[in-house]
Amino acid sequence: MSTAASHAATPAPSPEPDRRDTAQGRSAGRAWTRWILKRLGLAVLTLWVVSLIVFVATSALGDPVRAILGKDFAVSPERVAQIRAAMHLDESLPQRYWIWLSGLLRGDLGTSIANGVPVSELIGAKVANSAFLVLVVTLIMVPLSLGLAILAARHRGGPIDNAIQVVTLALAGVPEFVTGILLVSLLSTSVFHILPAVTVLPAGAMVWQRPLGLILPVATLVIAVVPYLARILRSTLVETMDSDYVELARLKGIPERLVLRRHALPNTLVPTVQVSALQLAWLVGGVVLVEYLFNFPGIGAALVDAVRNGDFPVVQALAMVIAAVYIVVNLVADALSILLTPRARTEMVA
Amino acid sequence: MSAHTGGRSAGPPLTRRQALQLGAAVALGGATASLAGCSASSDAITSQLIHGATGGGLKDTLDPHFPVTMPDIARVRSLYEPLLRFTPDYTIEPSLATAVEHNADATEWTFHLREGVTFHDGRPLTADDVKASIERMADPKNPAALFSDIAPTVDLAASKALDDKTYRIKLKVPHSILDQVLASYSLGVVPRDFDVKHPIGTGPFRYESFLPGQRSHFVRHDGYWDHKAKVDSLLILDFGDDAAKVSALLAGQVHTIDNLPPYLASAIGQQGAHALVSETGGWVPFTMRVDQKPFSDKRVRQAMRLIVDRQQLIDQALSGFGRVGNDLYGPFDPDYLGTELPQRHQDIAQAKHLLKAAGHEDLQVELVTSPAVGSGGVESANLLVQQAAKAGVQVRVTKADPSVFYGPQYLQWLFAQDFWSTRLYLPQAIACALKTSPYNETHFDHPQFTELITSARRETDPARRRTLLQDAQRIEYDEGGLIIWAFANQVDGYSRQVSGVVPCREQPVSSYRFHLFTVKDQ
Repeated sequence: MSTAASHAATPAPSPEPDRRDTAQGRSAGRAWTRWILKRLGLAVLTLWVVSLIVFVATSALGDPVRAILGKDFAVSPERVAQIRAAMHLDESLPQRYWIWLSGLLRGDLGTSIANGVPVSELIGAKVANSAFLVLVVTLIMVPLSLGLAILAARHRGGPIDNAIQVVTLALAGVPEFVTGILLVSLLSTSVFHILPAVTVLPAGAMVWQRPLGLILPVATLVIAVVPYLARILRSTLVETMDSDYVELARLKGIPERLVLRRHALPNTLVPTVQVSALQLAWLVGGVVLVEYLFNFPGIGAALVDAVRNGDFPVVQALAMVIAAVYIVVNLVADALSILLTPRARTEMVA
Repeated sequence: MSAHTGGRSAGPPLTRRQALQLGAAVALGGATASLAGCSASSDAITSQLIHGATGGGLKDTLDPHFPVTMPDIARVRSLYEPLLRFTPDYTIEPSLATAVEHNADATEWTFHLREGVTFHDGRPLTADDVKASIERMADPKNPAALFSDIAPTVDLAASKALDDKTYRIKLKVPHSILDQVLASYSLGVVPRDFDVKHPIGTGPFRYESFLPGQRSHFVRHDGYWDHKAKVDSLLILDFGDDAAKVSALLAGQVHTIDNLPPYLASAIGQQGAHALVSETGGWVPFTMRVDQKPFSDKRVRQAMRLIVDRQQLIDQALSGFGRVGNDLYGPFDPDYLGTELPQRHQDIAQAKHLLKAAGHEDLQVELVTSPAVGSGGVESANLLVQQAAKAGVQVRVTKADPSVFYGPQYLQWLFAQDFWSTRLYLPQAIACALKTSPYNETHFDHPQFTELITSARRETDPARRRTLLQDAQRIEYDEGGLIIWAFANQVDGYSRQVSGVVPCREQPVSSYRFHLFTVKDQ
């Protein structure tokens, strides 16, 4: 549980901050602007450091030309020279970094070595597909985990809680590709034949144009993430419900349902946001096995393919995209955390 | 020569109602017809064959002369055709050329082109197109992989079209089996103004769309000279994962897949699909460098060949899908000697005796392998450790990453593995057994052998060439550095809806002759 949340334990929800907001609207706006600018600055700095690491790491992987040509390296000196020139391999490392970074800043991600197509063209649709998958998973994952956590916390120690605990623990222990294989054989191949086993897209189509094909990947990822999230949220909720101020609310005679909704729940929102953000960031690039299993045209499998091909411009572009997602998601999560924590909110303005 | 036997499928006439993608899944499950609506797409009313190809990625290409990945090969075979081609049992037959002649010393080869062949854009095939294609394959800066040993010997200036339908190629060095080389799938003929951005060939399918690493969509070439495709269109999907590929086959989302994991061969039969097992001439040898100790001693190499329990390797590393090899390659070559020479079996006593004679009684050696070697590679290396231990030889296996294995050290490893696909004897020897070979893993450099191969390359009389090639094989059998323990069988999968699929020795999935397949409604 985050410290911000426990500090913010206000016994009763009060409308006061809202009234103060109108009075101090301008200074609050300025405080937010300052905060956002500062965080954006930090984000850019972080991205720059990441770009250094990504570049040095990909450069340290050995001779990219050999990785690209494999068995053909020895027999095609012309292609070796061609690739070396295309990758500016004869320049020094800092020079190469500058060429890459300045291209990046202009929105030019470079050209794939594997097939000579601009990287943005290659990964654009995949980034959109992955983003959509993550969005759908999030929209299901957050309410579902929160619902399960509330249900379990509400009936703490009872059969419902126990059942939820056992099932989530069991599911949390199963790797996501195993879940995926089981779902495929249950719903697509062996038992029933009602859902497509893999994603098959017509030319130029995006994954949302084939919603049936999304069901199994989404279900697999939801099953992979929800148990973990639900268990964390349940323990946060249980901890809150044992706290003094909740006890006080109960002693005042407030019904348990209201205690949960108005006193305990607001304090679990911050951890919900923070834990969900981490899971989200993982979902963007870390679901290679699931992408492979469903032949899903996302960035995880593309990254693995690019590494295997030694296609460094693609590796660098995807690594930057994934890093940017991490940074943005965390930025949004922090902003939401402040908004959801009255004390932090007022501190910003003060 | 004889026509295709595989083309004559006696299946029912094609129905136009062939549902796509999910529609097929529904048909297989026999349930919920409502889902079929979801499969509607721009090409839903046509009959379509969907092939699931193994691998592929951003490296995918439509270039006729540089196929790299499995889906590339499937595409190249659908779009383009070579002058000659291989039958299912790996003998050559006419394709775009109906007749081939050569002069007495095999330096001038004349190809007579078939009448009535048209490119996808409707233009007729001419000798000028063949000339341009040969120039593209023999480009000194970037020769086609299967043409790289011949490319430097082609006299491009003197090779020309004699008339509209006759082309003559001139070589600076005789090559007695140029016709066999030009039957390679990756030496397709393209129009003289060919641009890979608009991939035009004479093949049974015409290019429609292509997304590297994901899918390619081709439609039937209505002007095809041979058996016209029985389906309206062909969709090739790339699969990075075996499980996804097999799931797609069982769910009816694809009709054919290449490289079915062999252990699934019997299991998929119960779930609405068939395994297709084809003999191939592909091999995954152990390679011993004959120029370095301890393998520079012929007796040590012979001992290693006697240590190997070939059948056990096949049973365990290839799941039983292979035929015992006899340390010689090119099993489909009419001059192959492997079946005539005594078959080598595991003989630990004799191996120990040879090692003792060579002074290597407690031999220790490192074997370098890699997943990049392909199916059966790492598994056979691990099995060899146990087999060698019986003869007191200590083999230590090092598993290298693909980029390391095929990195700077490739062709330098003392004891390693490699992979080769089906070839005839002479082109294979030129590729791997001469000092000038691009892939001479064993550093084999035997003057008499080289002399025999060079003579065979010039020899136009088949009987005399046979003698030369068989003498060369005897040398490799006795002194070579390759342990060729098996020729793998190819295992692919196809749906019950598909007919017209026959085993082919050259390549997977009936050598990707998709135009001969029929897809039935179920």
